[in-house]
Amino acid sequence: MNIPATPRLQQAMIGYERELKEINKVIEGPKTAAPPHIAIIAEPLKGRTTIVDEISRVHGDRVYRITLDRVMTATSMPDLSPGRDRIILIDNCEFLATRKIGGFDLLNHFLKTQVGSKNLFITTWNSFAWQYLDQVMNLGKNYPVQITLPRMDTPVIKEVILSRYGQGEIQCVDEGRTERSHWYSIVHHETTLPFIGKEVTVPWITLNFSVMRSRLPGENRVQVSLEDVIFEKINRIADGNPGIALDLFQDSLEDHTISPRMIRENDCSLSLDINESFLLSLILSMNCLQSSEISAMVGRDVDIDRIIYRLLHAGIITEEEAHYRISPSYLTCVAEYLKRNRRVW
Amino acid sequence: MADSLLPDIAGDLQLTAIDLNLVLYIVGIIVIAYLLVYVLSHILVLISERVGHHRTSIAMIIPLLKILIYAFAIYYIVAAILQPSFSQMIAFAGLFGAAVGIGLKDIFLEIVGGLVIILEKPYQIGDMVTLGNSYGEVKDIGLRSTKLRTPADELVSVPNDTIFNQPVNSGNAGDIPMMILIDLFIHAESDASLAAQILREALVTSKYVIVSQKYPYTVLIENFPFYTRVRAKGYVYDLRLEFEFKSEVTRRTLAEFRRLGIESPVCFPFPEGIAN
Repeated sequence: MNIPATPRLQQAMIGYERELKEINKVIEGPKTAAPPHIAIIAEPLKGRTTIVDEISRVHGDRVYRITLDRVMTATSMPDLSPGRDRIILIDNCEFLATRKIGGFDLLNHFLKTQVGSKNLFITTWNSFAWQYLDQVMNLGKNYPVQITLPRMDTPVIKEVILSRYGQGEIQCVDEGRTERSHWYSIVHHETTLPFIGKEVTVPWITLNFSVMRSRLPGENRVQVSLEDVIFEKINRIADGNPGIALDLFQDSLEDHTISPRMIRENDCSLSLDINESFLLSLILSMNCLQSSEISAMVGRDVDIDRIIYRLLHAGIITEEEAHYRISPSYLTCVAEYLKRNRRVW
Repeated sequence: MADSLLPDIAGDLQLTAIDLNLVLYIVGIIVIAYLLVYVLSHILVLISERVGHHRTSIAMIIPLLKILIYAFAIYYIVAAILQPSFSQMIAFAGLFGAAVGIGLKDIFLEIVGGLVIILEKPYQIGDMVTLGNSYGEVKDIGLRSTKLRTPADELVSVPNDTIFNQPVNSGNAGDIPMMILIDLFIHAESDASLAAQILREALVTSKYVIVSQKYPYTVLIENFPFYTRVRAKGYVYDLRLEFEFKSEVTRRTLAEFRRLGIESPVCFPFPEGIAN
């Protein structure tokens, strides 16, 4: 079964049109003495950088873009005064603070610079780091516009993934052992809370009648799309995160062929001690960290080499150019585990 | 109603002949009840340890389950020996209660204490409490006593009737996070604002801390004649890590104090002063 192609036009933006529209509205709004600085908040791999790329593309020369790729220090901090009437776009702002004594000085300095600037700041934040910094130092009060990237539902995830491939490039196979689709799907509706006006995402169940019918006796001929079964499974594992879904899809492909059975699901029964949990919470909040950066936050009394070895061996983290990050296939498990045990809030 | 019940209560109780079968039956019921309590308690403890911050809610089912199982066991034993009617059973329960109340007043009071603890929940399994003169984590609430695991890893049984005549201090009131107080003392001439900032940062960067609107933190400075007290109040995410949290924050703060030249006081307060 060949998967039909999706037009490549605007492929990266699928699913975040509403957020982009909101950002553009702020950018094109009236100039004020106190620009409404924007914080774009999302979990790792959810597409912050994709949005930043699109803002850069649309607003061209007005944008002064800085991408932070490691923990910042006073000496490595880039210049934040590019001139007047600019949009200062800073990706990965979680690197401005570290979880140690004296680790908030640079962020405080940055926020002071931002408050005193007439330029509009658009910043992106890892949602776990944002949550921590918001609780500890009221970070949210510095950003009148906060945009949290929502979970994506299966049809959007499917569109995002397939837009990267040509027509007939990917083939779905049943192998005679097709897993059955669920009779329900979880979708996420955005709704505004009364009185406080805050937008929240509410999970909602929709019934898949075709699947339900197929399970009735004498209704065996009702066909459930194999594609839908595959993408439902991918999105269930990815929990609406397009980055994880894409990674899982690519990992499951063999010779441009995919079947439900080829989509591997990790065992999420993690058992971590306090130091392992803390180290993982740091990596999760910062996207990626070097050994020396972890050591500075965890402290000298913890043997981080042994912890890193164990986490690498278990496949929970990966190493790339001396940077450690949570393996995409474990991202949902780790976040869920750390939330359940209140290591991240 | 009372008139109609009287002949029934006054009717003869059919005492079953006590033979080996009856003894085995009674022993069987006791063993089954004990095994049920043991197995179900262990299963619930295992589940409670896996569910993260809902630990105490699950653990509190255990004492209720114990009472139910033992009540059923007693009912079946009495029914097997005396074969009473429903009215006789109620009358028997009343008489049994009165006899227990008179003859075994203390034990009865402890059992009533156990019921009050389960229904009113002044503390729950998993709480850090001060009961009488003992402080520790509540490991079990039995019919007669409450078992505490002290910081020295001793298991202390405190009679349940302690709640009637002594105050009960619960550090977390059924929740897993618990507020911790950390006092540090510096020389009166040292920079107290800097010390407070260091303590604040040591607190919020601790690997044991939880901070949210529900679990806020604060740092306070108070001046005394010969020293300045810097006090931090914050929540540890799991009450079992109370002492590790205190120790970690104190150690890192003191190291930073030394690095930045914040001196210790010449005169130290008495331990009583620390507790205030």
